[in-house]
Amino acid sequence: MMTLTSKTFRVRISAYRALLIAAPIIACLGSAPALAQNTPQDGVHADRVDWGVLMDLSGPTSASQSIWVAGLQDRIRMVNEAGGVYGRRINILAEDNRFNAATDRIAFEKLVSQTPVIAISGMGTSASQVALSPTIRAGKVPIVGTYTSTKALSEPVSPMVYNGFCGYKEMAAAGVGHYVDKLGLKAPKVATVAIESAGGKEYHDFIAEAVAKRGGTAHHITMKVTAVDVTPQALELMALKPDFITIYGVPNTAILTMKALQQYGVKIPAFGITYLGAPQIFTAMGPEAGANYTFASCFTPGGSDTLPGNVEMMTFAEKVGRTAIREDINYVAGWVAGQMISEALQRAGREATRAKLVESLSKGFTIDTKGLSAPIVYTPQNNTGPVLFRMFGYDHATKKFTAFGEYADSARYVQ
Amino acid sequence: MLGQVLFSGLALGSIYGLVALGFVVILKATDVFNFAQGMFVVCGAYLAVTALSLLGLPFPLAILFIILGAALMGMGVHAALIRPLSGRPILSIIMVTIALSIVMRAGIEILYGPAGRTLSTPLPSGGFLFAGLRISQLHMTAAAVSWLCMLAFGLFFRFTSVGLLMRAAADSHEAATIAGVKVDAMNRLAWAIGFTLAAIGGLFLGQLQIVSTELETIGLLALPAVVIGGMQSIPGAILGGLLVGVIEQLASTYISPKSADVMIYALLLVILLVRPWGLLGQKAINRV
Repeated sequence: MMTLTSKTFRVRISAYRALLIAAPIIACLGSAPALAQNTPQDGVHADRVDWGVLMDLSGPTSASQSIWVAGLQDRIRMVNEAGGVYGRRINILAEDNRFNAATDRIAFEKLVSQTPVIAISGMGTSASQVALSPTIRAGKVPIVGTYTSTKALSEPVSPMVYNGFCGYKEMAAAGVGHYVDKLGLKAPKVATVAIESAGGKEYHDFIAEAVAKRGGTAHHITMKVTAVDVTPQALELMALKPDFITIYGVPNTAILTMKALQQYGVKIPAFGITYLGAPQIFTAMGPEAGANYTFASCFTPGGSDTLPGNVEMMTFAEKVGRTAIREDINYVAGWVAGQMISEALQRAGREATRAKLVESLSKGFTIDTKGLSAPIVYTPQNNTGPVLFRMFGYDHATKKFTAFGEYADSARYVQ
Repeated sequence: MLGQVLFSGLALGSIYGLVALGFVVILKATDVFNFAQGMFVVCGAYLAVTALSLLGLPFPLAILFIILGAALMGMGVHAALIRPLSGRPILSIIMVTIALSIVMRAGIEILYGPAGRTLSTPLPSGGFLFAGLRISQLHMTAAAVSWLCMLAFGLFFRFTSVGLLMRAAADSHEAATIAGVKVDAMNRLAWAIGFTLAAIGGLFLGQLQIVSTELETIGLLALPAVVIGGMQSIPGAILGGLLVGVIEQLASTYISPKSADVMIYALLLVILLVRPWGLLGQKAINRV
């Protein structure tokens, strides 16, 4: 008969303690395959695919960027309601970078390494794009459908980046070409009114380049992003007497410029960049000032035609309660970016990974938006995205956007 | 050209002066350096959107709605946040006003959405020529209303018994309390006035711009105006506002728009170095 000495008792206690410690570890190891399935490296789960979005959901540019995100989410919602992609729903994980490159970097690393996601869309802060460009280019997570395009990220072409918004270079060429031909100008004198920013300077350089090709001159007039009164700029425009004006900035930039010109009784035609194509901009200008204003866009505003893409978007937006923003050009752009996401995942196949996604996209693909834009073509040599433009005005009586010409008309200017 | 720029600077400065006046009323009464004043401006603009666009009130009723709404909110802020912190270190109260502005911004964006709103009012928006100057009717109206408000509050503080009690409470809480003045009620009134003045500024700024939370940045230009004019001086706040408006327009015209901020804050630095009590403020003399 074995007697329980103090020594054997201590040994047994030690053994029990070891067992107590080992049990959870063994349990964890046993369930490792299950855990791995729940946190796959590339964000592809059994029932969903995680996709990241980096945008300014608060801060000075949130008014337009959050509408873009809403458009993207609605398109994805429509895809998910139809069964998702290969039976998996797309799970959009939107991070707010608060117009701050440092915040953007942290959110980017989180989406790439911790969450993780299969790919990222948006990246609306140009400073972040520039800062993260080397990391993105050398990394494994593609950026599909950018909200803004910077040279640093777009040039030279990379299989990791697919622009999703209207590029400034093409926008400038299309807008200048349209007005020079429309007004029958020989040596156009053009003024760029822009907020003081690197983007404003870059846009003006594109305008100057396009104007120079037509034998004209371009002048750069700047204003503060938070301006309340633009008397100095209006006086400068009146002294300069340009044939037409182009406007870069936030909604307020366009509103103040056009209202100031109206107040001084000056009627100079002007076109804004795509981002300045919201109904509330025209409403704030009023019919008189708004009559001289158009914007260049690679997307068709909601409700301005009855092509299938527009009707589908307007109907779904109404269904999900987005009637207030569905005509906004940013909503349309987000909607198209959502289409890019679902089609990109289709191309990546049933067992999608980051590598398979990049491989499938890098071969080139075309997005048919059913009339919401010209077909968007990506090739191994060119990921610029939407390049064909139309000019749009606003009919205050019907409260609808009106298009001037067709997308194909701008091909002669942008190529 | 100079005359045109000066006119627009004075018109703009009048709105800054109005917001700055509200800031000074709060500072004088409660010793609180209110960093939420910019968001009070935003609130005024959104109250206008609510009254005119969402509720569809006639313009006179909408004005009443804005004034009453702003006054109630001012009293609410005082009752909920400032009064409970009475006697606490000044830094705690400043932090509360910063936190308040952040909460208000987020609340407005949740309630109204992030997209800017257009404010349509029956205020005249055309222009006319006067002595060779092109006068904007909206700027003119904004300046005139700002001056009327400043005059009305100046008369209120100087000639009414409540104004006198408010001044007494602002000069010395202890002495006013001993004399039977209801200091707490006076402070509550000061917050109501401060909020209302900012809200009227917001109504005009919202009409000149579009209504969004970004109006806060413009509203915060009242801070340099107050420091330049004199932190405890009501006429100083008005002068400071006018100076900020004129400097902004002159710098934008003759140097560059970005230089406007440099010029405004350069003047602020000079004032703080040379005359820290501001142009019309009074030097504090402490008994040793």
